[in-house]
Amino acid sequence: MNLTAKSKWILLGFSALAGFINGFLGGGGGVLIVALLLAVVKLHQKHAQATALLVVLPLTIVSAIVYLVKGNVDWIPTLWATLGVVVGGVVGALLLSKLKGNVAKIIFAAVLIAGGIKMFF
Amino acid sequence: MTTFLLILFGFLAGIVGGMGMGGGTVLVPLLSFLDIPQKTIQAINLVSFLPMCCVALVFHAKNKLVQTKHVLWLIAPAVVFAVVGALVADAADNKVLRLCFACFLIAVGVWQLFVAIKFIVNKKRGQVADSNPADTGVLVQDEPTDSEQ
Repeated sequence: MNLTAKSKWILLGFSALAGFINGFLGGGGGVLIVALLLAVVKLHQKHAQATALLVVLPLTIVSAIVYLVKGNVDWIPTLWATLGVVVGGVVGALLLSKLKGNVAKIIFAAVLIAGGIKMFF
Repeated sequence: MTTFLLILFGFLAGIVGGMGMGGGTVLVPLLSFLDIPQKTIQAINLVSFLPMCCVALVFHAKNKLVQTKHVLWLIAPAVVFAVVGALVADAADNKVLRLCFACFLIAVGVWQLFVAIKFIVNKKRGQVADSNPADTGVLVQDEPTDSEQ
């Protein structure tokens, strides 16, 4: 599928916003990228999620470099948390095939809202 | 104790991330329970995402799920503004950053909740929505079919 000029402007604008959010908040840009790939590039859900990783990887690398250069990376806690994330990631990937339905997603949304409210205090 | 919690919180967020639901959005609020500055938390989130992302990309590429057409339209502006965002974050106060992150989480949570509920309602009405690529709902996920496994 070819993109119209309007689609290209939408992609440029919203991916710039996603990039800004990812750099400013240290994550979260992927949510917008997936939505763009679904709505504008018209990818299917699985393709959109996989392709979003390809988009988020370079912008995470450049953001991380800026945090590093500015002295905001504390390596000891970073390495421990990364160890946990990698092990958890493998477990999550194995669980994925067994988990179906929207109930898990509603729980996830509720966790996000709870996490957001917690961070206010 | 802090080391244990760092690994545990990373592990929990990793499970969510491994399931493809955005582990970073879980890791940051979890780490905010510990006495760590918001900028350091965000740096942890960025760095810890990288190894998982690389591994996941290799698997998805093997399964031919990664579509490279048009992606430069997204990557180019996103990379430039990621640098801008990271520089703004460096200049910002940790408390302000934390509040911004909180607002972002609530906004995404409400949006995803809305999408998931809409999907369930449509399904109950018998409208097939799960194969509609134009649906902007991030949570509307094609369930794996037996033919693909």
